[in-house]
Amino acid sequence: MFVFLVRRIVGSIPVIFGVALVVFVLFNIVGGDPALQMVGKHATAQQIADIRREYGLDQPLFVQFFNYLKEILTFEFGRSYATRQKISDMILNGIGPSLSLAVPAFLVTTVLAVSIGLVVSYFRGKLIDRATVLLCVVGISIPSLGYILFGQYILAYKMNLFPISGFDYSWSGRIEYLVLPAIVWILLSVGYDVRFYRTALLEETSQDYVRTARAKGLSEPRIFFKHVLKNSMVPIVTNVILEIPLLILGAFLLESFFGIPGIGSITIDAIHNSDLPVIKAMATMTSLLYIFGNIMTDVVYTLVDPRVKLK
Amino acid sequence: MTIGRILTGFSLTLALVFAGACTKASKDSSNTLYAYSIAKIKGLDPAFSDDLYSGAEVARVYDTLLQYHYLKRPYVLEPSLAEALPEISKDGKTYTFKLKKGVLFQDDAAFEKTQGKGRELVAEDFIYSFKRLANPKLNSPMWWILDGKIAGLNEWRATQAKAEKVDYDVPVSGLKAVDSHTLQVVLTQPSYQFIYNIAMPAASAVAREVVEKYGPEFLNHPVGTGAFKVAEYNPASKIIYVKNPTFRKEVYPSEGAAGDQEKGLLADAGKTLPLVDKIVMTVYTESQPQWLTFMKGELDYSSIPKDSFNQALTPQKELQPELKKQGVALHSSPQLDITHFSFNMTDPVVGKNKYLRQAISLAMDNDKQIELFYNGRAISAQGPIPPGLSGYDEKLVNPYKGHNIEKAKELMKKAGYPDGKGLAPLEYVTISDSTTRQMTEFYQKEMAEIGVQVKVQTYSWPEFQQSVKNKKGQVWSYAWGADYPDAENFLQLFYSKNASPGPNDSNYNNPEFDKLYEKALTLPDGPERTALYQKMVALVVEDTPWVFGVHRLLFGLTHRWMKNYKPHEFHGMSKYYAIDTALRK
Repeated sequence: MFVFLVRRIVGSIPVIFGVALVVFVLFNIVGGDPALQMVGKHATAQQIADIRREYGLDQPLFVQFFNYLKEILTFEFGRSYATRQKISDMILNGIGPSLSLAVPAFLVTTVLAVSIGLVVSYFRGKLIDRATVLLCVVGISIPSLGYILFGQYILAYKMNLFPISGFDYSWSGRIEYLVLPAIVWILLSVGYDVRFYRTALLEETSQDYVRTARAKGLSEPRIFFKHVLKNSMVPIVTNVILEIPLLILGAFLLESFFGIPGIGSITIDAIHNSDLPVIKAMATMTSLLYIFGNIMTDVVYTLVDPRVKLK
Repeated sequence: MTIGRILTGFSLTLALVFAGACTKASKDSSNTLYAYSIAKIKGLDPAFSDDLYSGAEVARVYDTLLQYHYLKRPYVLEPSLAEALPEISKDGKTYTFKLKKGVLFQDDAAFEKTQGKGRELVAEDFIYSFKRLANPKLNSPMWWILDGKIAGLNEWRATQAKAEKVDYDVPVSGLKAVDSHTLQVVLTQPSYQFIYNIAMPAASAVAREVVEKYGPEFLNHPVGTGAFKVAEYNPASKIIYVKNPTFRKEVYPSEGAAGDQEKGLLADAGKTLPLVDKIVMTVYTESQPQWLTFMKGELDYSSIPKDSFNQALTPQKELQPELKKQGVALHSSPQLDITHFSFNMTDPVVGKNKYLRQAISLAMDNDKQIELFYNGRAISAQGPIPPGLSGYDEKLVNPYKGHNIEKAKELMKKAGYPDGKGLAPLEYVTISDSTTRQMTEFYQKEMAEIGVQVKVQTYSWPEFQQSVKNKKGQVWSYAWGADYPDAENFLQLFYSKNASPGPNDSNYNNPEFDKLYEKALTLPDGPERTALYQKMVALVVEDTPWVFGVHRLLFGLTHRWMKNYKPHEFHGMSKYYAIDTALRK
């Protein structure tokens, strides 16, 4: 296991380097000049030159890229060009709200989707299965903005069940403000997840061991909930773990409409403002989370499937 | 059985989730103003208050020497931290400000000598604050308000740029504390815009010990002399302010503009400011939640988002009867702004062919544009100066506006492009949001009527700015809002020394205009200067470096419990707002 982990971590270095290179090239070519963003509408050429010098934007590109690699190594990305806030503080302040929304919504979605997946695959081809699949397709087809507008207008404004938007750092405040966006999150993702888990479960039911179990006279619920579910854990775990980095990165649209000061909106603001230090920090964080997620998936495989060995 | 259990489990979970959420928003009976911002706040450092929204928040905490009278129109300045308007020397170069005595900074641990109690504001604080704007290491985007204006300040900036560490103790010849409460400012040349510059939030008084204690984190530790102090701070979502207990004695104005008395705007005359105890400012980056929150009564005032316009107003621009019944009030006022299409005057095609520019201007259907994109909430701009400023001529009719296709075609012939023949597609640079895309399609259709093809280059905002500032592209659209109420702020957009990357984005260069502009700078407000302004307007109308767009009208709504609301173009007005707490219950 240790050797495997070391090998995977070493193997991820070129990935991080590659991501850094792509982000650097992309935002230096198409991102606009950050100095122009900082200097304001009454800019003078002298001020632009001063800012470029101060932030090292006048240095050759390879020097700037080298500095970026140094920032990755030290995890010190400095301050945002656009807001002048410390990036580490921005991320720390944003992670809490993002996770407060994402974790409960994700857990409920996963439990709900796996459970519904189980039920409908158990009743494969029957009315409940067909109706659920149809509902999932309809649910997936509705644009996310539709759910948000419905939630805010009908549930929050007309029915007064929830606050329309906002965020409060107290725990009671978080519950009060995050239930509606969490419901929207669940509605947005449960359809896709149900279809995914249903397919994974159905795939498993066509395996030889299921036929053998039936031939031996095991009851359907026993076959299904004891054997099929256990053996379907690999795709389920893969899907769940690979979604974890996305949770930390936040859901931009939900955060934006529901006024949640999370990581998603920080990233989008940074892209809009050509805020290179924040973009670089977020890209690094994303790649690290994905690498971590992938390694975790491999490790968890060994727990859910004894046939898998880490080499 | 198993399925039944699972389903019961889900139902219980969902029921618990809903139960936790079903907390009805309660109507607050405290004397609190519920305000909003449509953009995240960058921080509360006056030196970086270059965007409208940060400026508005800075002005709640900090004060300037002068401020705008809340009620009088046209806008006039009155003393804020100064005891009176400045004494100006005969040559117009020396301004002497007497500061109010006993004004205290808000309490903060940075005031070690007074054990955390806010110390008294003195003239040196302004000298420090002005030098801070000039600090070359700080690179304030608001430096322009003092750039080249105060004797010795640019030289100080240049010297400090070479130094390793900025030395604020190096004197500036034009900034002098005559005594603890007398500030003398010597200008490089007479400037009648200077007093407007120092009324901007960026010119607020900051305390040196606070800036030095918090360093780069000063933007998150606002300590001013203003009516409110920060109680809870999250610039990305919510800032809560409470009344500053050490705020100086300031009272609600007892005079206003015509009609203010009848509107009840003088009912609180003489009352001590601020009138509310607390402000809860929430950030809404999307218009729908902001609008619904207002409609629910949880915001005290609101603008009307474009998509909710019909919900709020009838086609006659009157309040919908349902809102009237609820006691919602409608406020409208012209904004000191202008939208426009800029021609790149350095471009060999559009920049060198006046007739082509005039033809394009004539082909634009401004009325249709106002109807389609502004819900009728705008007036057609005939020149660069918006109504409400000296120099605005309501009788001015721009001969190159009015959607006259026949005349436009004639001008196209004169330009050497009959029916657009021989003219390569114009490169129109724009940003990629949905309204701008719709406007671009409209623009393409208009141009097709005179045979002009338009090639659209869509960019993100930073790329768009880069393109414009680097003089790339032939045409683009822009808007300008007044920094201060002087037509000079609009006319400087055509001054050749302000060409890109400065605010003259069309790069218009007319020596005759420049001469008039430079002369106008030396004159006080009066008929002579107004005549010069009008001459400058005539020049840009004839040369058409812009297609003049619209001056937008500001429509706002207030709930029946919000008192003393009057639309104002500038910052720092929340101290005048009042809440009738009994009505809000």
